This record gives sequence, structure tokens and C-alpha cells, in this order.
Amino acid sequence: MLDLIREIGQAMRNNKLRTFLTGFAVTWGIFMLIILLGMARGVTNSFAERTSGDRSKRLNVYSGVTSKPYKGFKEGRWITPDVDDIERLKADNPDLVESVASYKYLGSTDIASVTDHISKSPEGVYPAEQEMYRIPMLYGRFINDADLRSLRKVMVIGTDDAKTLFGDAEKAVGQRVNAFGLSWLVTGVYDHEWLSDVYIPFTTAMAIGGTDGKVSNLQVKLKGMKTMEDADRATSEVRRSLARAHDYDESDESALYMHNRFSSYLRESQSFSILNMSIWIIGIFTLLSGIVGVSNIMFVSVRERTHEIGIRRAIGAKPRSVLLQVVLESVAITALFGYIGVFLGMTVMQLVDMAFGSSDFMRNPTIDISIAIEVTIVLVMAGALAGLFPALKATKVKPVEALRDE
Amino acid sequence: MIIGLKDINKTYPGAVPLHVLKGINLEIDKGELVSIMGASGSGKSTLLNILGILDTYDTGEYHLDGVLIKNLSENRAAELRNRMIGFVFQSFNLIGYKNALENVALPLFYQGVSRKKRNAMAMEQLERMGLADRAHHLPGELSGGQKQRVAIARSLITNPSIILADEPTGALDSKTSKDVMQVFRDLNSEGMTIVIVTHDPGVGQATGRVIRIADGIIQPS
Repeated sequence: MLDLIREIGQAMRNNKLRTFLTGFAVTWGIFMLIILLGMARGVTNSFAERTSGDRSKRLNVYSGVTSKPYKGFKEGRWITPDVDDIERLKADNPDLVESVASYKYLGSTDIASVTDHISKSPEGVYPAEQEMYRIPMLYGRFINDADLRSLRKVMVIGTDDAKTLFGDAEKAVGQRVNAFGLSWLVTGVYDHEWLSDVYIPFTTAMAIGGTDGKVSNLQVKLKGMKTMEDADRATSEVRRSLARAHDYDESDESALYMHNRFSSYLRESQSFSILNMSIWIIGIFTLLSGIVGVSNIMFVSVRERTHEIGIRRAIGAKPRSVLLQVVLESVAITALFGYIGVFLGMTVMQLVDMAFGSSDFMRNPTIDISIAIEVTIVLVMAGALAGLFPALKATKVKPVEALRDE
Repeated sequence: MIIGLKDINKTYPGAVPLHVLKGINLEIDKGELVSIMGASGSGKSTLLNILGILDTYDTGEYHLDGVLIKNLSENRAAELRNRMIGFVFQSFNLIGYKNALENVALPLFYQGVSRKKRNAMAMEQLERMGLADRAHHLPGELSGGQKQRVAIARSLITNPSIILADEPTGALDSKTSKDVMQVFRDLNSEGMTIVIVTHDPGVGQATGRVIRIADGIIQPS
């Protein structure tokens, strides 16, 4: 085998310019494939990160207006989820619902420290809010379960507000502010790209502004989600529970607005896999033009070397070894120049990564080892295919060719 | 008897079928140095092709060193050529991008002999031809006589039953021709069976027996 590789190396060195020109087409094809795959990978990575873990397995319910009359009620009635729904949904659908959270917006209020004040609409939240929106804490802690149990008057604020109120975000934790005529303890300061809400415990918010039991939304964490059917079943089961509780037609889709993040996740995943597939198709067809070039040049090579092949046959080369040599030569050209393309492509993608790698639409657009292996398989198969027909032609060379004059 | 031909017939098909060999009977004994002479179109090239298992015949029987050469597969024919026959050609037929040593070693490559071993064996043959100092030269850097001696070294490396030479002096000047013929005679005196196809009477005279072929039939001597 090593000998055969030496034979091939010799044949390739013997035709440097031709080998190079042929190889360039392959290099270009692979280069394009890597660039396209890298870009797709970057976009896919950013999608995967946004939907990672259980973040996508959620169903959000917001208030809406009925579109169908029901039990004597006319259509056009406002339906708002209430605090009892939180326990109800879990009790009604134990196999679909893992937990239910909610939030409650309070109206705009003045929040004042001793030195300054801001105007905000505090949001009563569950601890799960932090994970949902990826709220990174800078100082102190987020709202916790104990806060909810004891209806504590604690507050988590953004770093900009902390600076306004206390001059320095670091000093905010442990300080007190006044809001709704009450005194609140600041327990944490967070730093988020675009969120600037003021968070208080859900139960505290309900005690202040939710005495009617109405909540702003329901965040249902689903379990056992795998397929679109699971997602659709979860949506309709949740709707049925809520329809019974709020007296509306369970086929009325506008009474409570529902957004199943898992369905959207599945749809997006599907479009990403279609994107990925199209890129493979485009890349492979680009590569194909390179392969046709290799095949062509192998034909020329076989023709030029007819006499040499004849000599080899006369002194004992079997058709199989002639076949193998041509095919392997083709694989060697394809693989060698393919890898140059892989290397160039990866270099360019590293540069792209440095320029855009941390942006939202593209995350880590580099090619990993699994793609490199896939590309290797494609290259070897492509090279073998390119060499096959010229090689079959080479096996047709009769040993008598050796006796013809050059 | 190392070569035995019994009533060999060969016809090239075509619009006008060409009957080139018309019942060839020939026996060559081990250790003979034989030349086959004939004009062009006499059928001597076809006969050489059949002797070298490069081509097939239609009827008759050809025994080479006790093996019936008939209806062989491509693979079997390649194997027999490799092991039993050493070829020497008019135009040397060395591979241009391989040096002398690699050219000589090439038949062993097809036997799967390791690189180290076959290079050692090739060096031995080159020494025998007095070309050890040219081992790493490409054919293009060698003179005609040197090239032909490299080719002879290559033909000897598998220790074949016979050497078949096709006009081995056809591309050489008269002085070099004599040298090459001397090489063949020396090999013959060591016991090698050699068949030379030629139209050069000088070459014929230098062999032990001349077989004349004309119009597809061996002429009685």
C-alpha cells in the first residue's frame, strides 16, 4: 500500500502543472462548501443557543377576546388568566405540565432612593423568570422562592437604574427604595443587553395590584415534548382546561392568546435543517464541477500513459492493480487539493468568527471535526468516482501496447 | 523442451480475415539461444506476442515450461508473464520518470515484494550488467546501450524461464549492438533460454539457431 502511494506520488510529481490546475478546481469547490457550511453553522448555532435546554418547551398564555358565543355569553368578551389557573393547569394536566409560572405587571410608579428617583412599571415574577430571559446577576441575587412565600418587599433592578438611584451599581444591594408608599430592599442588580425591568416577587405584586386575581400571563413549562403532535396536544389540553374555568368555547382560539414556543422551535429547526441540506446540495454541485475536471484530466492522463500502462501490463501488472493505481491517483489529487480548500475555508471562517462570532445572528461559525470527517468522506468518494471511468479505460489497455513505438 | 508450439493458427478477424499464422510447429530447448527472423508481415511479431502471452491464438497448443498457455484469464496471463518471461524491447520501454533501479525493480512490485528487498535485488542485477553506478539515473540520462542493459536487468529480476527480446538492437549503433548481443550470449552461457526476434542477419548469426518464418509458416532450415 505504501508502495502504491509512492507510485502515485511519482506520477503526480511527473505532471506538476497539470496536477495543480486540476486540483485547483477541487480546492475551490471545497472552499466554497466550507464557507457555506460555516455560515449555516453560525446561524444554526445562534438558533440552538437561543432555544437550548428546556427554554423552548414552554407555552405562554396571554389575555384575549372571545370570537364565539358560549353559554349565553356573546362573543367579544375579554378573558384574562387568573391566579387560580396556575394550580389548575398543573392539576388538570399532570402528564403535560411540569410547572406553571406567571407574572404581573403593576402600573407605572415612582421608585425613589434618598438621592434620586426613577419611573417604572415593576413586574411581579417567579424565580423561573431569570432562567427564561437569561438575566445575568451583577451583584446580589434574583427573586427566590422564600421571597414569594413571605410576600417580601424586595426588588431586583437593572444596572442603569442602580446607577441613577445610588450613583454606583455596586452600592445598590442592601439599600432601600420607596415605591407604592412602601419601603423595598434592593437584593440584586442585573446586567442585560436590552432588559431594564424592575422585578419584585409575584406574590407581593398580586397583593398590591392583583386583588381581583387577574395575572398578565401564564408561563406553562411543558414536559414530554418531542413531536409537533405533542406540542399541539399540549396547546389544546391547556386551552380546554382554561375554557372550562373561564366559560368559553374550547374551540375558540382567540379567547386566550397562546404561544407554544415548542411548535415554533420545531418549525424553525425544520427550516434550519432544510437550510443545511440546501447548502450541502449547493456545495456538492460546486464540488462536482471540480470532480468532472479531475475525471477529465485522468482520462487525458490514461491516454498519455497508454504506452506506460502497456509496459506495466507486459511485465506483470494485473488489470486490478492498474485500476487501483488510477483510482487512487484520482483520490490522492482530490483529497490533497480538497484539504487545501478545507484549510483555506477554515482560515476564512476563523476570520469571520473573529469579526462576527459574538453577534446574535452568527455564533461560532467554524467547522468542527465531524464536518471535517464528512468532507473527507465526500472527497474520497468523489475522487474515487472521478477516477473510476478513466481507470476502467486504463484496464482496457492491452499489454501489446508495450511493443508499439512511442 | 521449454517452448513447444503445436500447429498454432491465428487469424485477425475483419472484413477480409487475415490468416497470419498458418500452423506453426516449433520446439525450443532449455538453454538455447534462438533467433526468429522474417520480413515484416511474415507473422514474426504475432508469433512473438503469442510466445510472450501478450496475445491469444485460435487453435493449436502452446506449452511454456510445462504450462499449457491457453484460454487464460487476464490475471493469470499477467502472473505468468511476470514470473516466466523477461521482456526486452526495441525501444527499451523503461518508465521515464523512474530511475534505473526503480525500473529494474518494477516487476517485483507486482509480485508484492517489499521495497527494500526488491531494491537490493535490482541493485544486484544492475551490478551484473555493470551499471551499479548508474542506478539512480533516469533513463533520459543514459545512453542507448545502457538503457538496453537496464531493460535486460529488469527482464532478469524475476528469474524467468525465458527471455523474449524484440529487435533488441534495432535502436542501437553497430558497436553497441555487438555489446548487447555479447550480454545475451553471456546470459545464455549461464543457462538462460533466450529468444530474439529480429530482421538483422548479424544478430541472427550471433545466435545458436535461426528460425526463419515467412508468410505465417516456419521455413525448413
